Amino acid sequence: MSEVALPGQTKRTGVGDAAVVRARQTEDVVIGDEIVRHRLSSRVMHWSVAITFFLCLFTGLPIWVPIFHWMATFFGGLSTCRVLHPWFGVAFAVASLWMFIHWFREMALTGRDREFLTPGGMIRYFRYQGEDPEVGKYNGGQKLLFWAAAAGAVGLLLSGIVIWFPERFPQGVRELSYVVHDLAFILFFAMIIGHIYLGTAAEPGTFRAIVRGTVTREWARLHHPKWYRQVTGDAKNR
Amino acid sequence: MNSPGLQIRQSSAQMLGGGTGQRKMPVVSKYIDTSTCIGCKACEVACQEWNDLGNVRTVQVGSYQTVPTLNADLWNLIKFNEQTLPDGGFAWLMRKDQCMHCADPGCLKACPAPGAIVQYENGIVDVNPDACIGCKMCETGCPFDVPRYAARTDKMAKCTLCVDRVDVGLEPACVKACPTGCLHFGTKDDMKALADSRVEQLRANGFAQAAVYDPPGVGGTSVITVLSHGDHPEWYGLPKDPHVPTGVRFWKSVLRPVGVIAFAAAFFAMVGHYLTYGPKKPKSSDEKRGEGPV
Repeated sequence: MSEVALPGQTKRTGVGDAAVVRARQTEDVVIGDEIVRHRLSSRVMHWSVAITFFLCLFTGLPIWVPIFHWMATFFGGLSTCRVLHPWFGVAFAVASLWMFIHWFREMALTGRDREFLTPGGMIRYFRYQGEDPEVGKYNGGQKLLFWAAAAGAVGLLLSGIVIWFPERFPQGVRELSYVVHDLAFILFFAMIIGHIYLGTAAEPGTFRAIVRGTVTREWARLHHPKWYRQVTGDAKNR
Repeated sequence: MNSPGLQIRQSSAQMLGGGTGQRKMPVVSKYIDTSTCIGCKACEVACQEWNDLGNVRTVQVGSYQTVPTLNADLWNLIKFNEQTLPDGGFAWLMRKDQCMHCADPGCLKACPAPGAIVQYENGIVDVNPDACIGCKMCETGCPFDVPRYAARTDKMAKCTLCVDRVDVGLEPACVKACPTGCLHFGTKDDMKALADSRVEQLRANGFAQAAVYDPPGVGGTSVITVLSHGDHPEWYGLPKDPHVPTGVRFWKSVLRPVGVIAFAAAFFAMVGHYLTYGPKKPKSSDEKRGEGPV
């Protein structure tokens, strides 16, 4: 949980390329001015979920509402979308299961997270007010997204199976499944819009964490101060 | 789909302007008198011949019925029920099961493919296989359990009320073939008058509960059925008060628009947030740039 001592290097200078690649396999370590936030497997896992989600989205939207009918063209028409969508859904469910297993321990909600998740806490967060020095590696919003995504994936999978094979289920279950599939999707996608915004435009320096894996010390101190202290062993801000 | 677009009243999965019918025409209807049906199945054969459907192997179900239910190659089935009556007697009830051609069609409501299910100005509800994507959502939308998925074509199939014959002034094939005159075809007004007079006859002849089945829950149907036991449509395998399923109506009329609005709202909320508060940056870079969020 502190700087990795790599053979044949001095601190913050001359870190060998191979050594950096190795270090990036390990989360929560400092390399020079940067901190590894997401190791390779975390990033591959995240993008597996994201890509399968977008494949589902782009094949599902044209079936959902005629406004998005034009999207079907990219997959070869609406019939092709209808055939592909459930298979992309299976891939998304598998990726989501991987994400759940990978992250559920780190995403346990603490008392402070619950405070963060009150309406007042969320408003303060979006107004950049009241910085909480006790925010760890993931803040309450990220944890909420994780659990909502897990619940949403279960809802989408179960209702999706019914919609895929309607003849095997009674009328009431089929009707309920359309409603559940739509509701889960609407909530899921609205949260993803917020997730993408916060991860890119709203908080510069965040996107690289999920692409190349590292963040700057300043970024870590600002957004995740407790995690910063744990990783760097920096007592000044304690 | 066999009829030109000028006659389309409404079409599935349209945003706006569903009603494009230029050519006005009277609503037509098929008349079925269950009390004079002898269960000969001539209509089943005529339907399969005219529509050139695949062969269907009959199934011994222990009654005067050829197969248990409709399927993609059998759009018209005479259902049979030996009903025990409250007075201890019994009745042999024949009923022609087929698409009812609802004025408010649940299949069309549920269909996500633009133009795959259309309703013509004359009330006939038809499938356009070219646009159908084989998703089976119409099966859930139909209150009469009529549309069937054909694995052979990956499309749904059902009775078209012989729209190709009707277009050229002929009656549907089943009506043409019926030997007892229990089937008739004409404008809905004429068929209702015929049905009313038949109901009067039945009532005068000991069937006090005789009635016309033209369910208002789906806006009436273009297939109206005279039932000797009109107080018990379920004896004939007909729902008592059919309507477009609540789940389907809620899903299509409430959830979809709400969802689209929610996306737009989420998107504009983010844009608004960025314009109001800007990006959240570390203090050091704020100092360097001499600006930044307050």
